[in-house]
Amino acid sequence: MGENEENNFKTPEGYFESFNERLMGKIRGEEETEKLSFLPKSDGFSVPEGYFQNLDQKMSSRLGDQETKVISLKTYRKYFYGAVAAAAVFLVIFGLNFNTETPVAFEDLASAEIDAYLESTELDLSSYELAEMVPIDEIEINDVVEEQLESENILEYLDENIEDIDELNLNFEDYE
Amino acid sequence: MQLLAEEALIDELKSPETRERAFGVLVNTYKERLYWHIRRIVLNHDDADDVLQNTFIKVYRNIDGFKGDSKLYSWMYRIATNESLTFLKQRSKKAGISDEELKTRMVENLQADVYFEGEEIQLKLQQALATLPDKQKLVFNMKYYQEMKYEEISEVLETSVGALKTSYHLAVKKIETYLKAD
Repeated sequence: MGENEENNFKTPEGYFESFNERLMGKIRGEEETEKLSFLPKSDGFSVPEGYFQNLDQKMSSRLGDQETKVISLKTYRKYFYGAVAAAAVFLVIFGLNFNTETPVAFEDLASAEIDAYLESTELDLSSYELAEMVPIDEIEINDVVEEQLESENILEYLDENIEDIDELNLNFEDYE
Repeated sequence: MQLLAEEALIDELKSPETRERAFGVLVNTYKERLYWHIRRIVLNHDDADDVLQNTFIKVYRNIDGFKGDSKLYSWMYRIATNESLTFLKQRSKKAGISDEELKTRMVENLQADVYFEGEEIQLKLQQALATLPDKQKLVFNMKYYQEMKYEEISEVLETSVGALKTSYHLAVKKIETYLKAD
């Protein structure tokens, strides 16, 4: 540990020796992740021996397999065309029949069916995506909260929770 | 990989005559880095192997759609991250359990995993990581154990460097509290 003769301040070992290197690293924009004493050096994961060496082979055989499958489809091409033709015939027959009837409209769906669909299907929509679809101007707070909020309740809540209610510039006449 | 070398590799990947050879180079260059990234999300070696292979297959199939707006490695890391998270989501759905329950089970299974050589402290670290939101866990692993720079992580996760620094510090604080408790 380095010690200054004139005072008792100390520097970590090798501080000045490695200073230039660290400074240049900083100038080049290299960042170093500070190692933390409470964390283990390694997180303990390992791989089977030779795993990475064999991976290339595994990959190329997997890709090879898949390409063979693509080629094999071609032999069924004539069946495929046949199936397409048959499907087209059915479509024309049924399509014509259906045209004579009234098409099913969104309104015909029972709301229970829509509810069931929404319940059972994971839509994975973010709140932004939902907000894009739902006309936000037409929604009142009472449409989304279960218990109806009366103006009085809101005012009471604000009175209890806001330090300076006057700052909200409420028009109190609306609530009288 | 240098930018010029990367551009040349992308051109080779897009051309049918050179695709196979270039893909070999790509797999060799990135297999280890992507593996460790995936492994730290799915924890188990066999699962990581599956997800890694699927990631490379996706890369191979979609290389024509790679626009070059970001670097090749960050595009691949993004695919690897999505594949890993989707894999976990599918697994919890199949087992009919919540994502949190799955994470707890994954850590419990580590104790019997032959490819996990961690001791008590490493196990506790994984328990701590399982309590973090996905994003904080990802940022922590990428920064601390994969030693990636904030700029690189920013490209992969499409998040600003400032937000990443906040996530990292929050993660470190939570892990420290967890490890130092009892």
